[in-house]
Amino acid sequence: MENTIEQIREDALAELANASSVDEIKALSVKYVGRKGRITLFLRNISSLPKELRPSAGQEANLIKQLVEERIKEALQRIEGSDLNSTDYIDVSLPGRAAIPGILHPISQINQQISNIFKRLGFDIAEGPEIETDYYNFEALNFPKNHPARDMQDTFFVSDDIVLRTHTSPLQIRIMEKKHPPIRVIMPGKVYRCDSDLTHTPMFHQVEGLVVDKNIGFSDLKGVLTTLVHQIFDEEISLRFRPSFFPFTEPSAEVDILCVICRGKGCRVCSQTGWLEVLGSGMVHPAVFENVNYDTSQYSGFAFGMGVERIAMLKYGIDDLRKFFENDFRFLRQF
Amino acid sequence: MKFSLSWLKEYIPIEMTPSDLVEGLTMIGLEVDSISDRYAYLDSVLIGRIVEITPHPNAEKLKICLVDIGTETLTIVCGAPNATVGMITACALPGTVFPGGKVLEKGLICNQESFGMLCSEAELGIGSDSDGIVSLPSDVDVGQKLASALKLSDMVFEVDLTPNRPDCLGIIGIAREIAAMQGSSLKYPGIDAFCAGSSISEYTSVEIKNPDLCPRYSAGLLSGISVGPSPFWLQDRLLSIGLRPINNLVDVTNFVMMETGQPLHAFDFDTLSEKRIVVRAAEKGEIFTTLDNKERNLLPGMLLICDAEKPIALAGVMGGVNSEISQKTVNVLIESACFQPSSIRKTSKTLGLNTDASYRFERGVDPRGTVFALKRAALLIKEVAGGQIVAGVVDAHPIPVAEQVIAMSTKNTNRLLGTNLDQETMSIHLKSIDFSVKKINEDILEVTVPTFRVDVSRHEDIVEEVARLSGYNNIPTTFPLIPAAIKPLYKQITIKDRIKDLLIGFGFTEAINYSFIKRSAVDQLRLRPEDSRRCVVEILNPLSEDQAVMRTSLIPGLLDTMHRNISWQTKNLKLFEIGRVFLNTQRKNIQPHEIEYLSCLWTGKRVENSWHGSNLDCDFYDLKGVAEGLLKALRLEGIQFTALPSENCCYHKSGHAASIYAAGELVGTIGEVHHEVLSNYNLKQTAFIMELDLDLLITRIPGNKTYKPLPKYPPVSRDITIVVDHGIEVQSVIETLEKMDEKILENAELFDVYVGENIPEKKKSLSLRLTYRSTERTLEDDAVNKIHSKISRMLIKTFSATLP
Repeated sequence: MENTIEQIREDALAELANASSVDEIKALSVKYVGRKGRITLFLRNISSLPKELRPSAGQEANLIKQLVEERIKEALQRIEGSDLNSTDYIDVSLPGRAAIPGILHPISQINQQISNIFKRLGFDIAEGPEIETDYYNFEALNFPKNHPARDMQDTFFVSDDIVLRTHTSPLQIRIMEKKHPPIRVIMPGKVYRCDSDLTHTPMFHQVEGLVVDKNIGFSDLKGVLTTLVHQIFDEEISLRFRPSFFPFTEPSAEVDILCVICRGKGCRVCSQTGWLEVLGSGMVHPAVFENVNYDTSQYSGFAFGMGVERIAMLKYGIDDLRKFFENDFRFLRQF
Repeated sequence: MKFSLSWLKEYIPIEMTPSDLVEGLTMIGLEVDSISDRYAYLDSVLIGRIVEITPHPNAEKLKICLVDIGTETLTIVCGAPNATVGMITACALPGTVFPGGKVLEKGLICNQESFGMLCSEAELGIGSDSDGIVSLPSDVDVGQKLASALKLSDMVFEVDLTPNRPDCLGIIGIAREIAAMQGSSLKYPGIDAFCAGSSISEYTSVEIKNPDLCPRYSAGLLSGISVGPSPFWLQDRLLSIGLRPINNLVDVTNFVMMETGQPLHAFDFDTLSEKRIVVRAAEKGEIFTTLDNKERNLLPGMLLICDAEKPIALAGVMGGVNSEISQKTVNVLIESACFQPSSIRKTSKTLGLNTDASYRFERGVDPRGTVFALKRAALLIKEVAGGQIVAGVVDAHPIPVAEQVIAMSTKNTNRLLGTNLDQETMSIHLKSIDFSVKKINEDILEVTVPTFRVDVSRHEDIVEEVARLSGYNNIPTTFPLIPAAIKPLYKQITIKDRIKDLLIGFGFTEAINYSFIKRSAVDQLRLRPEDSRRCVVEILNPLSEDQAVMRTSLIPGLLDTMHRNISWQTKNLKLFEIGRVFLNTQRKNIQPHEIEYLSCLWTGKRVENSWHGSNLDCDFYDLKGVAEGLLKALRLEGIQFTALPSENCCYHKSGHAASIYAAGELVGTIGEVHHEVLSNYNLKQTAFIMELDLDLLITRIPGNKTYKPLPKYPPVSRDITIVVDHGIEVQSVIETLEKMDEKILENAELFDVYVGENIPEKKKSLSLRLTYRSTERTLEDDAVNKIHSKISRMLIKTFSATLP
């Protein structure tokens, strides 16, 4: 019996000394100390020995087990240590199997950015028809028929009374018809104007905003638009509000921002003025409120609109508006 | 609206620099579009000295001059009689653009090269002398620019006026705004010299038949004038803002219009039948020849200025040939009227005839300004064309226009602006632009609006005046206090963002195409005659044939995009677009039906070129995988793809397309593009397309997610391979299994389809992995085997299958 455990020990140590790979060692581990290994079986059989031999045989076998386990560990360390010199390697510089994400159109990216800013300010988002009636696109917004204000927007006509919307403002009316104040909503979408050159495409994107409640003032309009511009660009970009005219707001304001390219020094993009016109805005005209039966003695509000392409061009340094609708992959993949 | 600084200074002293003026006007609401020196064209005209003159060999009247321009001496051919040696004169270099638009080029004059031109005042637009070249004192330095030698500089401003400010369509109106800015006062041109009296009524009369269309018509009369060119100062004023001088009479009417904003018209008095004016609306079928020699077919209601028997002018738009001022005119009637804006606009739009006059009338002229402008013009005509003013004016004024009186609340003004201005400050601002203000109490000011401000009619308009005069930038910046409550109006938008994110994750790039397509796009797609997508919405005034109608499908845009990209050598494309399509309701003046669609297009390789083995082209199943992944991620239930019957494949390749169902409803299609459609778009490589009706799809997305407990017992898998007819759809095999409603059959999944060796022709082998699991216990092999063989027998029977 002593011979046998001795024999097992000799065999194990000899085989471990000769082992040259991790797999071999793992096999030896199973062979000697595994669930059906020789040492394990030996230990299991100790109970069949005469009672007086059991303690010493058990002790010895356990010592041998410890020794073999230690040698297995050493052998593993020896082999794994020698991986330093192994010839088994892969070229990690080869490209991985492609997992190329698609890209959101730059217009959508800016739209999402603007939406996210307003969502954080507690605004709702709404959409509406792109082909509108004359009433919603003009009349309800205080553009009377045969009024020169209609010249401000070159209109595509479908019939006398149906037009491709020239701005997202008709949604102001649609929302106020549906809902009572307080209102705070932005309305992104496509708009159409009969104009095509270097700086105009017949279709483009706008984001409209509307806030109506008690005690809303022009100073609030300035606050919200300042936040918007600072979030889209950065806090160094100052704003300039100047009087303008839109039939559906009074007072009306055009909003210029400090040129994001030259920071006010004057460059080609800002025509040397240092300012860029990016937003139209104003206090909602009482005639508009009357058209949706809002009590003008109680409620006031402001509205604003901006061109998304313009913001995208400034943000990404794009110089040709038409690029947005060519969908050139080499263009889109840059964003 | 253009004006020059020197002209402006006639009415108001300007203390600001031009750039401060630009800033000031812009910030008060008169946006300056551009500013330029009107003498900039003189930049290439230098002071030169004639050093030598020799006769021209080929032309008696010409001389060859050597001219010293400081840096060099030029040979210049000149015909001026006053050219002498030693003369200091103006020498234009090649490239100079003269006021008439002529460009000076190096040239041969009678076979003699000439490297510049010696110019007269008239040629340079700086004086009236055209008899000889400019002669300057001998102490003027040679080589310097003419403009700096003569101190010629006059800034011309172009203001981009908003349609509400016709009061600034005259320079006096702009001067009024500057006066408010500077706190200075205006100097109006004098009209006191106009002779009072009423003798005019002995010669002519005015009758207004449509006072609603013409609230006021003032007329004046001059006799014995002589028509001819205007003096230099008058021509120069008009030229400075880009107007072409015509003759002294017309020039004066234009000058006064530019000065006051009141359009005027001059009639040859002797051409008027019965020498009187009748203002009336046109009748049906009337024809009139306007000054530009065009016959105009008039519509009833268009306003006409007539004499006793015939129309002589299209009111507020253009005069007529029959009463035009000519060289022979000696007696002239001057019209200074006020017409109803929308009527003038309608006439001008209908006839496509826009003039400086109609531009002003349709925005609104000051009804109280007619007589002033009339007297001003009469005095100027007398000055530049001689003759006598007949004393007095005819002033037909059937509907006197009252000044608007508006009660303005200081409190409400501050509330609307978010300011804290006191009443006195508001009052000062309003008075600075000629509004009269009366204090009623601590809150209310009674504001009387001058009639030239046709845009101011209600409280908010006064608020804007206060705001712009006190400066928008002096209004504080605050933030609205908004209740923290949410009542979403449109839920779809977040779902659309989610769909975009998913598609981006699947490697698709977003395209945005125009919503317009060409009319023939529906043919290019091979749509059947009864297809509702043929009912396009047509645009009445399209920019081009390619953008003539609204799209009824996103596919044409994506195919165009594919074609463009391939021409740019990008051949592997995974594209999607989300956008509306427009279906014509076929009812006039009813909005079309708008549906939001998602379309995807995949063409080229399955994966971009790679070192990892095979470089396969994408196929139907690549795109179908995207559709399945998308619909699954949106948690849509009951997703099914069923073969699109050949007769329904218009732009799809027959046998390679499917309808997509979700929750039992048709939500879209998917398939390979038909080869004819590919060739209609000049495409040589195939493409796979998918369309989903998002409006419909979004309504079918289940609202709540509910957790199902995880299984407690292990699953058991069994595979089965059956050989079936080629035509049998896997979907039907799976559906059959589902219908068996075998409780412990948890899932059935296809893992191999094989056609080829060892499989008979027109057959295929399908390998399915069936997963069994009980919710109550660990399944015993025996129990599974029993059910598995039952299922196998059933499949074999149902599909006449065999085992391999």
